[in-house]
Parts: sequence; structure tokens; C-alpha cells
Amino acid sequence: MKLRKYVVTTVALFALLSMSLAACGSNGSNGTAAADGTLVVGADQEPECLDWIATCGGTSWGSWAALVTTLPQAYFSHASSGSSAAYVYEPSPLLAGEATVAPGDKQIITYKLNPAAVWSDGVAITSTDFKYTFDQIMSGNDIYDTTGYANIESVATPDPTTVVVSYKERFAGWKGLFGSGYGIMPSHLLEGKNRNALMKDGYTFSGGPWKLDGGKSGWKKGVSISLVPNENYWGTKATIKKVVFRFITDTSALFQAFKAGEVDFLYPQPQPDWFPAVKGGIDGATIKATADTSSVEALWLNNSKPPFDNESVRKAIAYSLDRDAIVKRLFGPLGVNKAWQSFNPPIVAAYADPAGFSGYTLDLAKVAELMSSQGYAKGSDGYWAKDGTKLSFSLKTTVGNKRRELTAQILQAAFKTAGFEMKIKTQDAGVLFGKTGPSGDFEMTLYAQVATGPEPGNCAIFCSVNIPTEANGGSGNNWTRTNVAGLDELLAKVDIETDTVQRISDSKQADLLTGLSATSIPLDPLPNTLIFRNSIRGPVADNATMGAFWNMNLWTLKG
Amino acid sequence: MSTDSREGAQPLEGLGLVGGSPSMPIGAELGIGALDGPKPRSQWQLFRSRFLKHRLAVFSLVLLILLIFACFAANLVAPFPANQQDLAVGAVGPNAHHWLGTDELGRDMLSEILYAGRTSLRIGLTVAFLSTLLGTVVGAISGYFGKWADQGLMRLTDLFLVIPQLVVLAIAIQGFGSTQVVIALSLAALFWMGEARVVRGQVLALREREFVEAARSIGASPMRVVFRHIIPNCLGPILVGATLGVAGAILTESALSYLGFGVQLPATSWGNLLSSARGYVGTPQAYLIYFPGLMILITVLAVNFLGDGLRDALDPYGSNG
Amino acid sequence: MIQFLSRRIIYSIVVLLLASIVAFVGTRIAFDPTARLAQVRDKQVRERERERLGLDKPVAVQYAKWVGNFARGDMGTSEVTRQPVSTMLASGLGYTMQLMLWAVILSIIAAIAIGVYSAVRQYSAGDYIFTTISFIGISIPPFWFAFIAIQFFVFQLMAWLNLSQPIFYFVGLHSTGGSGFNIDYLQHLFLPVLVLTVQNIAGWSRYQRASMLDTLNSDYIRTARAKGVPRRQVIMRHALRNALIPVVTVMALDIGLLFGGLVITEQIFSIPGMGRIFVQAITNGDAAVLTSWTVVAAFFVLLFNLIADLAYGWLDPRVRVA
Repeated sequence: MKLRKYVVTTVALFALLSMSLAACGSNGSNGTAAADGTLVVGADQEPECLDWIATCGGTSWGSWAALVTTLPQAYFSHASSGSSAAYVYEPSPLLAGEATVAPGDKQIITYKLNPAAVWSDGVAITSTDFKYTFDQIMSGNDIYDTTGYANIESVATPDPTTVVVSYKERFAGWKGLFGSGYGIMPSHLLEGKNRNALMKDGYTFSGGPWKLDGGKSGWKKGVSISLVPNENYWGTKATIKKVVFRFITDTSALFQAFKAGEVDFLYPQPQPDWFPAVKGGIDGATIKATADTSSVEALWLNNSKPPFDNESVRKAIAYSLDRDAIVKRLFGPLGVNKAWQSFNPPIVAAYADPAGFSGYTLDLAKVAELMSSQGYAKGSDGYWAKDGTKLSFSLKTTVGNKRRELTAQILQAAFKTAGFEMKIKTQDAGVLFGKTGPSGDFEMTLYAQVATGPEPGNCAIFCSVNIPTEANGGSGNNWTRTNVAGLDELLAKVDIETDTVQRISDSKQADLLTGLSATSIPLDPLPNTLIFRNSIRGPVADNATMGAFWNMNLWTLKG
Repeated sequence: MSTDSREGAQPLEGLGLVGGSPSMPIGAELGIGALDGPKPRSQWQLFRSRFLKHRLAVFSLVLLILLIFACFAANLVAPFPANQQDLAVGAVGPNAHHWLGTDELGRDMLSEILYAGRTSLRIGLTVAFLSTLLGTVVGAISGYFGKWADQGLMRLTDLFLVIPQLVVLAIAIQGFGSTQVVIALSLAALFWMGEARVVRGQVLALREREFVEAARSIGASPMRVVFRHIIPNCLGPILVGATLGVAGAILTESALSYLGFGVQLPATSWGNLLSSARGYVGTPQAYLIYFPGLMILITVLAVNFLGDGLRDALDPYGSNG
Repeated sequence: MIQFLSRRIIYSIVVLLLASIVAFVGTRIAFDPTARLAQVRDKQVRERERERLGLDKPVAVQYAKWVGNFARGDMGTSEVTRQPVSTMLASGLGYTMQLMLWAVILSIIAAIAIGVYSAVRQYSAGDYIFTTISFIGISIPPFWFAFIAIQFFVFQLMAWLNLSQPIFYFVGLHSTGGSGFNIDYLQHLFLPVLVLTVQNIAGWSRYQRASMLDTLNSDYIRTARAKGVPRRQVIMRHALRNALIPVVTVMALDIGLLFGGLVITEQIFSIPGMGRIFVQAITNGDAAVLTSWTVVAAFFVLLFNLIADLAYGWLDPRVRVA
């Protein structure tokens, strides 16, 4: 039959084409770590590129999965071993010990490199690599972040294991340089070549415990990044045979994939839609949540615009909320029940003074007292009004973030009870951070402030000199237009003070000041959560600054 | 995008050989619109009796009216006020008190669905109205005036059929903000092409008929001829197209919500209720996914049945023989 | 024929150009590729990026540069990932084609089979069941159907059969480290293909049914039956062939559109095809990628329109190309 022949031929052709597209290959491994020595991590974001210092290199998953595992850094930062939440800097295996700070006014730092440190090709890691890295950061036209490096005058290399960094302006956060989002790059392989072209899609070299499996081919675009141990690593060598980071960009699919056994490790964003999934625990898995992180989610108030240019109204707002209950509602399933009382995140808890904000608890009598003192009276609709105008404000937050949408709805209900009408407006993150914040076109916003390392200091967001103005090209970061007498001096000192005791005292005073005038209201530290199968053993814990995978060379799989 | 309604499948006319895709109704046979009785009856009576015989369509119409009433009168009908949270309750499954259960904030799902239905239905109806209007005008002008007007408008139609809907939607919504007005307008801008094609075809056919010639000969202006004489004679296909537009708009809005471009909180639609529940797949709270989706399905299904019934009733000698 | 084709091609190029203008200019106006850098503590980074991408120049100049490169066969470089756009799209197409091929094959077979059955057994119980199912198929929100499918085919099945691993997967097209055509591939393919086929099977089977009924009621079929040609042969050889003519046209047109319809499916099932590339380009405001993407998607619509025309002419000898 003619027709049937056509149909059969066409179908066969299609099938053949499809098979050839899929190419011949092998069955993959599925879940349940250790079955074949592979650890599969579910990642909800794919890096844009692996050229870390370029603007495309700034993704967190890129940094967690492929930067800290493959490139050496001067200092590591992690939770201190004590009970305190505070994070500490520790010289990485790349250094022979603590770097030395030269006495005197000029800031000069000398690093001594570990002579055993080598790249994966056996060539020693030397001071030239530091110099090369610095030159690349300062000379490129496509650099993600030059903060701190711009303060450096010169990087000298008196001998292969000595690096001398001289600063033209003091920079208290120097331990975060040559690390923390960036890594040292091999000058012997890259010098005089196109760094971006050689690194962006993956690279063969490594100066960390892991290397990309097969260099460029270790990153299967859209699918996964695979790491294998670097045999030439001079520190503790990795024992897990292979680690694969699979990209599952639909966040809720991450959990379904974990339950279905497709991945063994999750390090998800704190979004309420998956909390019910872990509430009762997951069989054969460990769930570790911690509130000791680097981000503070807060209600940011515009101090230069009604109604929040009035300190009493700001305080009344603060007294309208039972923040502990809100945090419990949001993160209770993860065991996080307490509001955070500072704009310095938990990892720099030593620099935070909770006394300023902890006084604000739900107290409607206090709200009434504060509002009445400002000439407000409650209208028949239950909302505060003055001269016939109802007090109403809007909360702007990022679009498509379920946690923030939920928070906003809880806040709306709470404020209504206290007599404030709050409208919710969601904006694209680009608009919120690119336009709304800088231009001050808001009354209240909700988002998180994230510290890049264990460094205190909020001068950038609270010093009056950083209020965006025409004079500074609108580039200041003090979007809340906070301007509290005496705060500027304290915060500015925190940024350059290298004496820890003095720095803590200054920072605490500043915290107290912001709290007492309720410039903005901190809500919670965003918790980090690790969910992993019990077959993964070793020091598996969150690292709020470097990501959970920084010490993966110490992990083992129970087979 | 994956929600393209059947209307999407239309050949581009520019130089095309195929005069138009076969406009065979989907499942036109479900209700059998048989003709009976030799009694002379008015067109309306004929239509009514044929439509009433299409039981599924009648049932769908009643259901839709009930649904529209329940949603728009939600403040009277819904068991709980909009967005009433009870954090102590949290997410519980369907029970006697909350028929469809509650969500993570302890809100009654039934009430939330009814309130959300307002948005979904409003968008569906607005888009259908606007796109029908636009499509009718474009089709009528194109068909009646022919020549360059026809060429220009039909090429424009081609362009809209060729550019992926999502590209236009994403750009429009990002550029003008994801308010309901913008969503409705940009959806309307994507759903008029089918209507324009149909109306153009009808106008082309009617243009040369005697009654139109007559109107023209007594000096009626082209506008008058088109809108007083021609359009009323192709109301049938226009109505059917409009019905399908409602279905397409509701489906597309829900898909937009999944991608984060749809109706934004605190306003709710069935689409964003569904997309905020997507994390519950594979958990005991899976009921939070079932109900909003079911509402979309029921509504769109009813609209499709209704459209089918209308088509049968309006076109007794339908092309499906 | 050649004249027809060349006119058609010139027209298509014009449409593609217009589509690319809409996409490029629209993206540039609506999206800001530097927005993702808004929270970087180094405040100059956005300015540097704007300069690097030439965003300070007028949109028309930026577009002219893009189209100039495109005409020379260079799709440009992604503004975000720094990869050649052609490489990204080629990789995306590889995945998308796999989904499309299977979805199309299955849809065609199922739709024709159901349509023929329903027409031959008109008003039978089976016909009613298929009719109802197709109505549901065209009315169901595809992403909701995907959620429901994952809920039942993955989790409920695991629970009912007491399995530790699902039968069907919903992440990617292979398990970790897997590749090639094997059982694992099929286990991954099942759900996304199911989601993609439902709408098409529902729609196409209705067309097939209606068209088949038309043909079965036509004079020549009655004549053939009257002459004693066996029923089966009449249906398969005479009726089906003629009934397929309009259906094939509709199918071709739908296949062209299916291309854009993969966006949601690929997003839900973490498949790095064209749909995911689109979502990423939109999220990042990557005009270079989005514009080429639009041109490719529009190209497919135009291509399948052409195929529909040619198929119509080929299947129906009465239509001859002018």
C-alpha cells in the first residue's frame, strides 16, 4: 500500500534522526550518592561564565561550585569554631601563615606563600600569580568588582614566595582581597593571552582540591558542571571520585528531584514553597538549616519622604510588628524563630549591638501614643489619619520572589491591625535596585542586604555622604536617605579601622544609633539550608561566605 | 507558546497557496443540531431552537453564567473574605469547614479561587472583546477595500503570526509593567489575527451579494455598507471567534503567570494561584495545585463547548457536512 | 514553481527582518542587561558594562551593527555569557529537536488513528470518549498538565509501587553523566513529550475525524463501496488518503508553532533547549540572543507554512502551483 509505505518511511526516518541526535552513549547514574562514587548536587542557577573577574563571573553558584574548588585564595572565611556565630578569616593552605601588617600609617601587607603550593600541572604557585591577578583586575574593561583593589598602589614580588601589597588608601577588609569571589590565576598559562577566552567556558588548570572534569568539557552547558580531584593538590586530597552539579532551574523541581533520587545534595534559596517538603524530615537525609548567614532581610524606610521622614511614625511602624512571629511564620519549619536586631549580619555578630532594635516589639498602645503625639487620629475605617488624609504607604519588593510576596502579605495584615494601610507593589529586581532605590521613589522596600565577607560596616548604605545626589552622579548606596547625627563618623571609622577592639566598639555604637532612631527595620537573617543524603559524611556545613562546597575535599561517601 | 489556541494554526496568506486552513469545528458533532419542523421561523427562533438542542453547550452556558456570578459576587458568595489569613491553621486539606482546603497562610482556597476568578475572567472577557473588535475592523477594512489596504493589513497579520507570542508578551509586559491593563492589551494584540482572517473571508464573500450592491447603489457610504450591512451578516463566525478568544486568553494568562510575567500579587488570578502552588507537587499539599488548575480547565472547557454549540446553531450547513 | 519559491523566500526575508527589529528594539527598550549587576558593591560596574556593550549608542545604531553582522552569517556574541549566539542556538536546537521529533511522530500517529477510528465508528461509545478527551486536551493548561503528570507518573507511581526510584524522570533528557539513546533516555523523554503531544493529538484528531467523515460521505467513496471494494480497503486506501490532505496542512502549520511552545515544557523539565535559552535571554535582557532566537523561531513558522503549501499541492493534484 502506497500510503502506508510513506507513513512507515517517514516514521522510520524521524526515529533514526532522533536517535542520531541523541547519539550513542551510556546510561547515566541516578541519585543515591556513593552507588558509583559520584555526588550529584542540584543547583538552581547556572553560572554565566567561569571567568571569575569578568562581569559574567559574579554568579553565586559559579563561585560556590567551580571557583573555590579550583582556584587558590589567600584567605578562607568560615564560622569560628566557638559557639559564636561570627565568622573568622584563616590563611588558606596557599599561605605559609598569617600575612603581616607593616606598622605605620601606610597600609602594607606581606604574604608568604606556601612553597608546596603548585598548579595542577606541577608548576609552583608564586608571587607572580598574585601580581598577574591584580593587574588583570585593574586593567580589564570588563571587571565585576574592583572594590578594595582600587585602593592598592602596587603589588611587589621580591621573591617567588613573597608578595608585598602597598595601599594608597587604607582598606580594613584587605583579607577579603585575592579571594572571596575571586581566585589567584596562573600567570604562566595566561600571561599575554586572552584570559577571558581561555577561562570563560571552563579551564584545564587548577590550584584547588578539584578540577573541571576534562577542562572545558567539564561544563556541559545547560546540563551540569563536573569536578574530579586534582591529583597534584598539595593539601588534603579529595576522596569523592566525582562531583556533578546539575542545573535544575525550576526551584520547586529541585526538591522533587531530591525526593525522586535524582540528586543527593541541595543548597537552596530560602523559599517557603519547599518548607512543607522538609517539615517532617526526609527519609535517609539530613536537613541542616542555619540562621548564621551573611544576609539581613529588612524593611527599608525612606527617611526623606513622608510618612517615614517622621521618626515617631517610623517607631510606630516598628511597634506594629511582632517580628519574631513573622520570622517564625516564615522560617519556623527550618527552626529559625527569632528576628535579627541589627543591620550587621550574623556572621559579624561580634560587631552588632541588638539593644537598639530589640526594644521594638508588638505594642499597639505605644503605636497609639506615638501616632497621637504627631497629630494622627484613627478614622472610622480604622486607619490613622491626619488633617483628613489617611496614612497610606506602599511596600515595593522584587517580583517573583515567593518569600517576599508572603512576607509582604503578612506585613499587610499586621499593619492593617495597627491602623496603617500598606499597598504591595512588586518590581523587577533590576528596576528596584537600579531605579527605585537610587531615585528614592519609595516609602518602604523589602529586600536583603548581603555581606560579601565577614566584614562589618554599613557606611555605604547609611552614611549621609552616600545619599545619591546629582553631585555624586546618583551613585551613592544610601537609598533610604538615612541621616542621623553622629552616625557618619562612626561608620566611616569602621571601614578603615584595623584595630579589632576599637572597630567592634565603633560598630556597636553605630548599631545602637540606627536602632534608636528606627531608620529602617531589620527582619531576619536569611537562613541557609543544606539537604543531603546520609551517605555523605564529613564536615558538611554551611559556609555563608564561600558556599557549602569549599571543604568538599574533606567529605567522604559511605559506599 | 504552548497555549496557542487552535486559532494559531493558520497559514500565512502572503503568496500562500492554501486559501485558509480548513475551518472544521472541533467536535461539532457532540450536539446534533438537526433541523426539524417545516414551520417558517425567524432566524433568531431557528438559532435558539438549534442551540437549545445542543445540550452540552446549554449546560456550559449555564455553568459559565453561574461561574461569572460566583466570582464577581465573591464578596457575597465566598465563605471567607479575600486574603483572610489564619496562620494558626496553615495548610490543611479539604474539609467540612474549608471545602477546598487552605493554603500556607491559612486562607480558604474556595474563597481565594472565587476572588482570583474575577481577574482571570475579566482578562478573558476583555481580551476577547478587544481582539474581536480589532480583528473585525481589520478584517472588514481588508476585505471590503481590498488592494493596498488588504495587502498591508494582511502582511501585518502575517508578521504577528510569525513572531513568537511570548517574545511580544515578554517585551510588552516588561516595558509597560505587568499590570492587568497591560496584560489584557498585549494579549488582545495577539489574538485578533484569526478573527481578522475570518471576517475578511466573510466580507469578501458578501461584498458582491445583491443586498450589498443595492445598498451601494443608493449611495450608502463604505463605512455604512460594511458596518450596517455586511458585519451583521457575519456575526456568527465573529461570535464563535470571540468565544474561543476567551479560552485562549485565560490559558495564556496562566502560562504567563508560570513564567513570572502574569498578574502580580497581591492581585490573584487562577494562573498565579497555580504558579505559587507549584512547589507542592509531590507533597501532601498537592490539592493546592489541583483546584486552581481545575477551575481553568472547567472554564475553558465550558467556553469551548459553548463556542461549538454556537457554531452549530449559527451554521446549520457547517463545513463538516 | 521557481517563481513561486523565490517570491516566497523574498517575502519571508522581509518578515524575518521586521520580526528581528521588533525583537531587538523591544528588548533594548524594555530590558536592561546591566540590571543583574545592580547590587554589586562596585558602583562603576554597570557603567563599565554599558560601555562594553555599547548601550550608550542609539538603539538604531546597535541594531544596524547586529543586522550587519547577521547578514554576514555572524549571529554575534551573547551579551551575558560571551558565547557565540550561533553556538548557543545550535546546542539549544539539538535538545529541542529531540523533543519535537518525538512529539510530532507520536502526535501524528495517535491523531490519525483516533481520528479514523472516531469517523468510522461515528457516535459509538469510543467516539464519544475520544471526543470528550480531545476537548479536555485542548482546554487543559499545559503547565498544569505537566504538574499533574509529575505528581502522578512520578510520585504517586513511586508510592503505589513502593519504588525507591521513579519510572519516569522530570529533570533533563538523561540521568547524571548519561548520554545516548537508551532506556534512561526514554524514561526522561516520556513526560515532556506527553505534555507536548496532548494538545496536538486533541486538535489534530478532531480535524482528522471531521475530514474523514467528509470523505466517507462523498460520492466516490459510496461508489467504491457500491462496487464491492472491501470496507477496510476503502477506508485505508481511498478515504484516508484524501482525508489526510487538509489534516497534513494543519499539522505542518502547527509544527511550525510548536517551536515556540516548548518554552514552558523545557522550563519545567530542565531541558536546555531553545525555550530555556529564551527564558534566560529575557531574564538577562540579552538582546543579541533574543533577536537571533526570534528570527530562528519565525523562520520555522515560515518554513512549515511553505511545507504546508507544498504538501497541499503534492497531495492534491487538483492544486497546481502557478
